[in-house]
Amino acid sequence: MKLHDYSQNLAARVSSIQIIGFVLLAILGVRLYHLQINKGEYYRDRAENQRIRTIRIPAPRGAILDRNGILLVDSRSTYNVTLNHEPIKNIDVSDRIDEYARGLGVDREYLDERFELVKNRPEYETMVLKENATLEDITWVETHSLEYPELRIQLQPQRFYPLGESLAHVLGYVGEISPKQLEKPEYQEKGFRPGDIIGKGGLEQYYDEYLRGVPGYRKVIVDSRGRVQSQIESVPPQAGQDLVTTIDLRIQRAAEQQLAKSATKRGSIIALDPRNGEVYAMVSAPSFDPNVFVQGSATPEGRKQIAAYWQNEERPLFNRAIQGRYPPGSTWKIPESVAALRQGVVTVTNSNLACGGGIRIGNKFTRCMGSHGTPPLKYAITKSCDGYYYRLGLKMGIDGMIKMVETFEYDKRTGVDLPNEKISRTPKYYRKAIEKRYNGRWVDIETVFASIGQVTVDVTPISMLRAVSSVGVGGKLQTPHFLKEFKEIGAVGDRATSNYVEGRKGFGYTAPKLTTVTMTPEQNKLVLDGMYDVVNGGGTATSVSLGPEFPIAGKTGTAQVTELGKDTGRLKDHAWFVGFAPAYAPELAVIAIIENAGFGGSHAGPAVKGVFQAFRDPSSVDMGGEATEESDSPNDENTRAQPDAAATAGRVQRLSGLIRRKAD
Amino acid sequence: MVAIIEKRQLRDFDWLTAVVAMAIVCFGVWQIYNAQPTQSYWTKQIVGLVIAIIVLAVVASTDYRRLIDAAPVFYALGLLLLVLVLIPGLGVKVNGQRAWLAVPFIGRFQPSEFVKIPVVLMLAKYFGNRRLGNLRIKEIFFGAAILAAPVFLILLEPDSGQVITYFPLLAVVLYLSAVRMRYVAIAIGLMAILVPAAYFVGIQTGTIKGYQRERIEVILDPENADPRGYGYHTFQSMITVGKGRLTGIEGDGGMSQSVLKFLPEPHTDFIFAVTAENTGFVGCISLLLAYGLLLSRLVVGAREAPDRIGMLVIMAIVGAITFQIFMNVGMVLGFLPVIGVPLPLMSSGLSSILSTFIAIGFVISVKMRRFVN
Repeated sequence: MKLHDYSQNLAARVSSIQIIGFVLLAILGVRLYHLQINKGEYYRDRAENQRIRTIRIPAPRGAILDRNGILLVDSRSTYNVTLNHEPIKNIDVSDRIDEYARGLGVDREYLDERFELVKNRPEYETMVLKENATLEDITWVETHSLEYPELRIQLQPQRFYPLGESLAHVLGYVGEISPKQLEKPEYQEKGFRPGDIIGKGGLEQYYDEYLRGVPGYRKVIVDSRGRVQSQIESVPPQAGQDLVTTIDLRIQRAAEQQLAKSATKRGSIIALDPRNGEVYAMVSAPSFDPNVFVQGSATPEGRKQIAAYWQNEERPLFNRAIQGRYPPGSTWKIPESVAALRQGVVTVTNSNLACGGGIRIGNKFTRCMGSHGTPPLKYAITKSCDGYYYRLGLKMGIDGMIKMVETFEYDKRTGVDLPNEKISRTPKYYRKAIEKRYNGRWVDIETVFASIGQVTVDVTPISMLRAVSSVGVGGKLQTPHFLKEFKEIGAVGDRATSNYVEGRKGFGYTAPKLTTVTMTPEQNKLVLDGMYDVVNGGGTATSVSLGPEFPIAGKTGTAQVTELGKDTGRLKDHAWFVGFAPAYAPELAVIAIIENAGFGGSHAGPAVKGVFQAFRDPSSVDMGGEATEESDSPNDENTRAQPDAAATAGRVQRLSGLIRRKAD
Repeated sequence: MVAIIEKRQLRDFDWLTAVVAMAIVCFGVWQIYNAQPTQSYWTKQIVGLVIAIIVLAVVASTDYRRLIDAAPVFYALGLLLLVLVLIPGLGVKVNGQRAWLAVPFIGRFQPSEFVKIPVVLMLAKYFGNRRLGNLRIKEIFFGAAILAAPVFLILLEPDSGQVITYFPLLAVVLYLSAVRMRYVAIAIGLMAILVPAAYFVGIQTGTIKGYQRERIEVILDPENADPRGYGYHTFQSMITVGKGRLTGIEGDGGMSQSVLKFLPEPHTDFIFAVTAENTGFVGCISLLLAYGLLLSRLVVGAREAPDRIGMLVIMAIVGAITFQIFMNVGMVLGFLPVIGVPLPLMSSGLSSILSTFIAIGFVISVKMRRFVN
């Protein structure tokens, strides 16, 4: 029986089925050609992208040490696995909890609790699921970023400041790079990414480039659930360089204690080596705890504390040492004396000017605190005779005064290696405003006020210390600095591959070109003698003396805030003392300003004395630290390892390592 | 007598068809291994092939006319199996479908794969013996009724993918039974209107479930498929195919799309994607040509069939296999929605390979008796 036996075009119908079959197969072939030949490269790339993941390994930041190797900022970085509320706010994730528990090796019940907690929190908040995450945990989370976007790795306590409030202004703190910074070209050039940790304020900011390491990465093949199947390559991170500062923690502590003892507990103390500008101590009080900023706004407590810092009228975030501008009062007389001698207004042999108990300008009489006859310069310094300086100032004139400002570089930043240093304000800065007020003419009364560091003079403590200490070292204006040395760090990776990260060489401080205030040895000695007598020769600060073996030369200042010499409560005079010792071969220069405390000799002087004492006998300084930390541990014995308890434990551990840093 | 039959059978046995079918299965075993190198699917498939060859030999050596005579019995048995599979104690549920029966020693088998054969026999028996001339409406309805019973039972499992493979059987049989061409035209016309309309109404009324809709919509825009949704399968399948390019991945089989589990069901429904990834355009076209050769051989058999019944059986099987290949590969290549249709001879699974081999055995049986009258 053959098909042609049939009627109804059966042969044609069979053929049509066959043709349809071939057409269908041909369609498949064409589609295959399109997918595999036309778009093959594209799909291969898509396949590569989804199976290869690059996992960043954050680099530990370099540590910051004091000059004796004591750890000031911890270089150890720990990582937390955190739960972000935002991606899961509308999703029921209860079925994922088991996955998390397995992936992170955490108790299920603990995770349940955490999820309950996060539900009641604002969207932007995070909740720590696991502290001190291991590399495996980090990998697990990073590879599951598609499935579980709510899980993140957070660098936590991204940095630890074991000293708390101590040195906070100098060290600064670190935090996530801000969106604003990310937009700036200088940050974009360096390849910053959102979430990168950078230094914010202080040395952390100034030397961020060196403290920051180079992150490493792992390139892995993952399966569809993000499980790592194999590793293609791995590049370890290169840690940041360790920074050895010029700070001597013992002197720093002593200075802090002096400020803490002071009448108002507000002010600043700076100690440096006048021979090279190395800063031993810098205190600005009140201070803040950088750890609060590091933990950031993730917790309500942290946000509250940060807000409190910003709102505090005493401005704890403000570094008074380099940003505070204060009328210098009589401390101004030291650079003024040098300038007068240099300008020939008075000479070493003939420097007598009348005191007169004050001076009359027009019909206004401006008093001197005493009656000093017609003293020579040395005596005027020792007794801080205002009447003498009124006349000296008038003889120098406003131009001479401005020349003095330029000589001692009060019109510039000192160049200290901290960000956001403010420039002092002097008659040079105020001149235009004053002349405008008096119909285009500078008036003598302003010269009189300026001659005793008032009204048109507002200087930063650091610039005052720099100027005065130059007198101790023959006029050399050293640049104050904290950098003693950056330690070298080894190369990372295989030199033959493209992943090689070169080692970074260690380096020390390179001072800018030195400027010197030229003066004759006689002129220098004359001013030094005056400063010596302030402490040792019946001057305004005899109580500061540490005896003849360690003679201190200095100058007091009592700067009027509203009305000189009167107790006007919160607006009492600022107390200043600036000096160096030993007087004729100084090793340390110290400045103290105590805000609204009163007389310089009786408030700032003793503070400086305390710092000098610590310098002579560092072992006498109470270093605090360990003893105070033990009190809060016993109650935590039975509670779960909550972050606070863990942090406390870590803190105790770190502080014990604080005395001498262990080799890493 | 027996010797003569033996000799003639050996001479007339359609070796080429059998060898092409077996070659495709062997190629499939290799791809199953590529898909799941750490699982035992590929060894099971070899066992399945051996069983299938034996069954093919038995079916081929049996006179198909006797099988046609027994068609109602097979049909009744088939329906019984489809009822049994629905009973919770007997039917095994996999992926939400109660489509498998557990059989001691053999494992699981899927009645819906096998019932196609009694349906073909029943249709051939009914339409093969009718008088010449155009089909009457009554006859069309009777044919539809033969199909309706198993389709209804399979829908209860529910296995809509398997159901779809039943329709070509009726379509081919009706077409070859001289249904008026205008009915064919009307049917095609109606489908062109009703399918989109039904889809629209289904969405409006919620009859089409969200995941089904997603599977269809992803065809239009696979790039933006929800990575965690159903559309993901389609897109991953396209990536896997495209990635194979001209000659397939080389030396990277350990980290292929299927091994990394990006490709779902790589050894069954998406076996063609695995083939594409591992052997590239060259391998895929070769496979399609092999299918083309196999189908051509079957059509030749149909043309030479000794009677109308044999012709209908072969052509119904041709229609079913062609349709299944097109549905499956179309799904893998991302232009047809994801429905669970296995690729004949390639997909892992005893039921699938066995039912296809029974069908081919049947074709060979018909061909062997082409000169017997």
